[in-house]
Amino acid sequence: MKRLGSAGRYAFLVVAALASLAPLLWMVASAFKPGASIITDPFTFDPRTATLGNFREMLDTVPIGVGFRNTAIVVAVKGAITMLFCPLAGFAFAKYSFPGKRLLFGAVLITLMLPTLVLLVPLLLQMSELGWVNTFSALILPGAVDAFGVFWMRQVIAAIPDDLLDAARIDGCGDLRLFGSIVLPVIRPGLAALGVLTFINIYNDFVWPVVAVNDQQHQTLQVMLATLGQSITSHQLGADWASVWGQLLAASTLAALPVFVIFIVLQRQLIKGVMAGSLKG
Amino acid sequence: MNMRRRRRVPLAPYLFVLPFLAIFVGFALYPMGFALRLSFTNWRGAGLLESVGLANYRYLLTSEDFWGSLGVSAVLWLLVVPLQVVLALAIAVALNRARLRGLFIGALVAPFVTPLVAMSQVWIVLFDKDFGAVNSALTAAGLPAVGWLTDPTWAKPTLALLVLWRTTGYAVVLLLAGLQSIPPEVYEAARLDGAGAWTQFWRVTLPLAMRTISFYVVIATLTVFQLFAEPYVVTDGGPFNSTRTAGLYLYGHITNSDLGLGAANSFLLVILVFGLSLASIRILRPREDS
Repeated sequence: MKRLGSAGRYAFLVVAALASLAPLLWMVASAFKPGASIITDPFTFDPRTATLGNFREMLDTVPIGVGFRNTAIVVAVKGAITMLFCPLAGFAFAKYSFPGKRLLFGAVLITLMLPTLVLLVPLLLQMSELGWVNTFSALILPGAVDAFGVFWMRQVIAAIPDDLLDAARIDGCGDLRLFGSIVLPVIRPGLAALGVLTFINIYNDFVWPVVAVNDQQHQTLQVMLATLGQSITSHQLGADWASVWGQLLAASTLAALPVFVIFIVLQRQLIKGVMAGSLKG
Repeated sequence: MNMRRRRRVPLAPYLFVLPFLAIFVGFALYPMGFALRLSFTNWRGAGLLESVGLANYRYLLTSEDFWGSLGVSAVLWLLVVPLQVVLALAIAVALNRARLRGLFIGALVAPFVTPLVAMSQVWIVLFDKDFGAVNSALTAAGLPAVGWLTDPTWAKPTLALLVLWRTTGYAVVLLLAGLQSIPPEVYEAARLDGAGAWTQFWRVTLPLAMRTISFYVVIATLTVFQLFAEPYVVTDGGPFNSTRTAGLYLYGHITNSDLGLGAANSFLLVILVFGLSLASIRILRPREDS
C-alpha cells in the first residue's frame, strides 16, 4: 500500500514536470525544424534533419542583435546600480540607528507594494517632461535601486553579528570600508542570489520598456520579440506561415538562451532568489 | 549597538540610503503626485493643465469598457487562481518528502523564469486555429478544430492556461517552503493518534499551510489584475475585447494619449488592487484555534 502510494506520488510529479517542460522543449525543437514540418508534423523531432535555417533567416530579417545589445546595456548598468546600492541601503537599515529611519524604511515598503502597472502612466508623463522618452536613461533609472533588493539585503545583513562589525570598527575601520571589506564578503551567497534574480528580472522586463521606448534604436530584446511576427511578415511579403513561425520560434529560443544557461548553472541561487522574491508584488 | 553610541550625528547611513531615496522620490513619489494632479485634468500630453474636476473618474466609473476590463481580469482570476492553488498544493505535498526534489523543482520553475514574451509567442503558434499543433492533434483525433485565440469564448481560457502553466511552479516553491516549516513532531503526534495520510492532510497540513496559501493568493491576485504582457502579445485584447484586461485597458489610454484619463485609471487600479489584497488576506486568514 505504502509503495503504491509512493509510486503514485512520483508518477504525479513526473507528469507535472513534463507538462511544465513540454512547451519549452517544443519551442526549442521546433526552432531547429526544417521547412514546413513545423506545421505538417508538429509533434515529432528528428535530430538528423535539424537545421539552423530558421535562425539564419531570422537574423537576416530582424535586427535582433540591436535588441540584444540594448538589453545588455540596460542589464549591465541597471544591474550594477542595483547590486551596489541595494546592499548599501540595506546595510544602513540593518545596522545603524538614525533619525528618520522608520520613515525612510516606510518608503521602501510602499515602493515594494506599489504595483508596477499603476506607475506606468505617471512615469511616462515624467519621462516626456524630462525628454527621456526613447532613451536608455528611461530604461535604466526608474526602479534602478530596487525596493525589494533593499528589503532583502536588509534582512540578510541584519543576520551579521554586531560583534564582528564592532571589532572591525575598533580596528579603525571606517563606514564605507566596513561595508566593502566586511559586509559584502560575508553576504556573498545572498548577493549571488540577488544578482541572478536581478538579471532575470531586468532581462525579462517588458511592461515598462514597451511603454518607455518606441523606436527600434532603443528597443530591448523583449520589446522587439513582442512584435516580431509582424516585423517578419512585413519584411518578407508572401512568406509562408511555416517560415514565419520557424523564425519566430528561433528568435524566442535565442531570447530564452541566456536564461536557460543561468538556470542550469546557477539553479540554487535562482530558486533562492525566486523564493525571496515572492515578497515582490 | 556600540556603533550607535559612538557618533552623535551619523552621516554614513543617510549617504548609504541616498541613492535609493533619490530614485524613490524621483521615479515614484514625484510622478505619483504629478499623476494625481493630472487625473483631475484632461491633459493629452501637451499644453496647459485644464481642470475637469472628477470628470475622469466619473467617466471611468460609468464606462462599460472600464468595468468590462475588470470583468475580464476577474474571469481570468477565477480561471487561474482556485485551480492553481489546488494543483500547486498537491504538487507541493507530493514533493515535500520526495527524492530528487531539486530536479522536479527545476522543471517546474523553468517556465517562470523563461522570458514571458517568448512563451507568449509559443502560445500563438501552438494555439493557432488553422496550423497550430493543438488543433492538429484535435483534428487527428477526429475532433473539430477550435478557434483558441479567435473565438471570444475560448480566448480567455487559452490565456488563463498560459498564466497557469507559467506561474504554477512558482506557487509550488512558495507552498513547499510553507510545508517545510511545519515541524515533523506535529505529524508524529497525529500519527500516534491514529491519523491516516488523508486525515493528516486535512487536520495538519492544510490548517498549518493556510498562511502561506493566503499569502500566495494575494500575490496571484496582484499578478492577475496586473496581467499585461500575455494579452498584449498573444491576443492584443481581442477577439472583440474578450481578453482586454485591466492592464491592457490602462495601456490603451497611453496609446490614445488620454493621459489624464490614464492617470485616473491608475489610481482606481491602486485602490482596487489594495482592496483585493486586503480582502483575500481577510477571507483566508486562519481562524483562531477553536
